[in-house]
Amino acid sequence: MRALVIDDSRTMRRIVAGILEGLGFETEGAEHGRAALDLLEGGLDVQLCCVDWNMPVMDGLEFVTEVRARRDWRHITMMMVTTEGEQGQIVRALAAGAHEYLIKPFTPDAVRGKLDLLGLLPIEELA
Amino acid sequence: MSTIVEHDQVFLIAQEVFASMIDGDPGLLQPWTGDLPEFEEPIVAWVDLSGDWAGRAELLTATATGHDLARALLAMEPDEVVTALDLVDAFGEVANVVGGNVKSLLPTQGKLGLPQVAPVAPVVPGAVVVQELRLAWRGMPLVVTVLGFVPADEEGTAGGDIR
Repeated sequence: MRALVIDDSRTMRRIVAGILEGLGFETEGAEHGRAALDLLEGGLDVQLCCVDWNMPVMDGLEFVTEVRARRDWRHITMMMVTTEGEQGQIVRALAAGAHEYLIKPFTPDAVRGKLDLLGLLPIEELA
Repeated sequence: MSTIVEHDQVFLIAQEVFASMIDGDPGLLQPWTGDLPEFEEPIVAWVDLSGDWAGRAELLTATATGHDLARALLAMEPDEVVTALDLVDAFGEVANVVGGNVKSLLPTQGKLGLPQVAPVAPVVPGAVVVQELRLAWRGMPLVVTVLGFVPADEEGTAGGDIR
């Protein structure tokens, strides 16, 4: 499986990608929503997007909304990975089309738990 | 006196951030005991919060400690050179996560700015210190400060000390 990690912080992209790679994902990175859309429009096929909220150029909420508007990207699961922890923000993200929500800071086990809920853990991880 | 964000809440946030993102162990960030030494080549990372409650979450440390934080966050070798970009990205992200979690404690909805890193944070006239935590990360001093930006006609109502 392949995942796209979208965060303006290279540090956070490294942390999230490192956890996902440990779970068997191949990963790509993008520094904001627009760069991520460019990758998807260029033909990058991913099963999962991990999306930060606050980013320059295009924020995570706009990105989720754009992806959800495209029928050919309906198979992509989107998980917000953000410091925006208030209930109202979580509701906004889920209403825009995000499937799951992970609040920073998080542990590798928390990522694994969310992916398990989403049915996105590789078979060997489930065994 | 009760303030909008309590000391212990900020400490728990900082400890959780450092444990989850850097150390895997909450015990490596502890209150600083004794007088705080002067920071050699200080560096500050901060995020501003805007909305009904406006303020700032700020982390201050020595540049050498910032380099150690960046190496830990970016999985660099102990002797690997930390660039200015590495430092801004890594130290800024720590401030971003601390600030985002402070924002979630506020009773009002607000907006989080993007993280900034510089030798000195810009002064906001009338800003009050809501909480200041003197901490030791792996024995090195680090200060976490939450500031409230009080409108001029409400100065003295945030329960902090004017900076």
